[in-house]
Amino acid sequence: MQKSFVTCYAVAVSLIAASLVLAQAPAPGPAAPKGKGRGGPAGPTGPAPRLADGTPDLSGAWMGSGSNSGDISKGLKPGEQLVMQPWAEALMKTRKSQDDPEANCLPTGVPRGAPYPWRLVQTPTHYFMLFEGNIHSYRQIFMNGKHPEDPDPTWYGHSIGTWDKDTLVVDTVGFNDKFWFDYLGHPHTEKLHTIERYTRTDLGNMTIDVTIDDPGAYTKPFTTTGRARLQPNTELIEYICQENNIDLVHVNAPAQLP
Amino acid sequence: MKLALSVVIAGAGLLMMGLPAAAHHSFAAEYDTAQKVTLKGTVTKFDWMNPHAHFYLDVKDPDGKVANWNLELASPNMMQRNGWTRHSLKEGDEVVVTASRAKDGTNTASAETIQKSDGTKLTFMAAPPPPDVK
Repeated sequence: MQKSFVTCYAVAVSLIAASLVLAQAPAPGPAAPKGKGRGGPAGPTGPAPRLADGTPDLSGAWMGSGSNSGDISKGLKPGEQLVMQPWAEALMKTRKSQDDPEANCLPTGVPRGAPYPWRLVQTPTHYFMLFEGNIHSYRQIFMNGKHPEDPDPTWYGHSIGTWDKDTLVVDTVGFNDKFWFDYLGHPHTEKLHTIERYTRTDLGNMTIDVTIDDPGAYTKPFTTTGRARLQPNTELIEYICQENNIDLVHVNAPAQLP
Repeated sequence: MKLALSVVIAGAGLLMMGLPAAAHHSFAAEYDTAQKVTLKGTVTKFDWMNPHAHFYLDVKDPDGKVANWNLELASPNMMQRNGWTRHSLKEGDEVVVTASRAKDGTNTASAETIQKSDGTKLTFMAAPPPPDVK
């Protein structure tokens, strides 16, 4: 036990030391996290930072997303309703856990989150969301851009970004219909159009609202809400899901919560 | 040990939840938490690979017959944030493992606690649930 404690302590000290060297320090002396909720324990508190030109600075490593990845209907904003078209409801009931694209190392699409940190990077023309997992991929957001007339359907779609005061608004079209919204297998079609609203409410916390408009699978648009927490001492680590994805041969069950 | 490790990890600002949930596929779809097994044996292999680390264990039954078990862990990424390294287990280690068995009845299980012959306990091997799932 003593030896293990020493080993673990050494690991922790190393991590702290590494984080001091490597971390993108958002501000000196963030307060200790407090409270819990979706997105995990609250992030450090303090004023939300801004870039030199006054634009809100959303950069950093985050955990969390704008929807409930277990069951998207559990993350609806108050007053919102999720009503599926009959065919979509019927399809969802047939879905099997082992067929979940995410379990097969394919992208989560939008807005489903994953239990891994992701990093937002801002440049003057492009914003990037770098995902540790799952999968180890990225989204690109074209700032003040335009959607193509007839985009090829893709896993993350075509995203353009604008600012609405201090909220980053990401408008995305051009999705394929392959990814699931959650572990339960809520479906969608290529008509899907999402509008995500990212607001860094303070140093360590971001609220994310997502409006999902898919007249192909749902009777009307609905909006989900979630939050992300800053991970101030975290660097993304390589995560190649395809390397040893050997578990699904043991799974034969209806799509279900994690 | 568990407490000590918790304190250290919390000090590093890296405390994660240690609930038995698989990271990128449904834990409940694969494992039955009502089917707990305790396995004593020798590590034959430790695969420190994504999306989940695994180790394999030769377990001898009372008649001397040996069966090899496949024990699933969390992702190496989240495990190293919780203090693990690729050296935490190695071939030849004698361990006692508590685990939830796979529903398909094969010698497959999700490890929950591991105790080595020197008394070392390894915990935090299970991935946290997605942060947005209540």
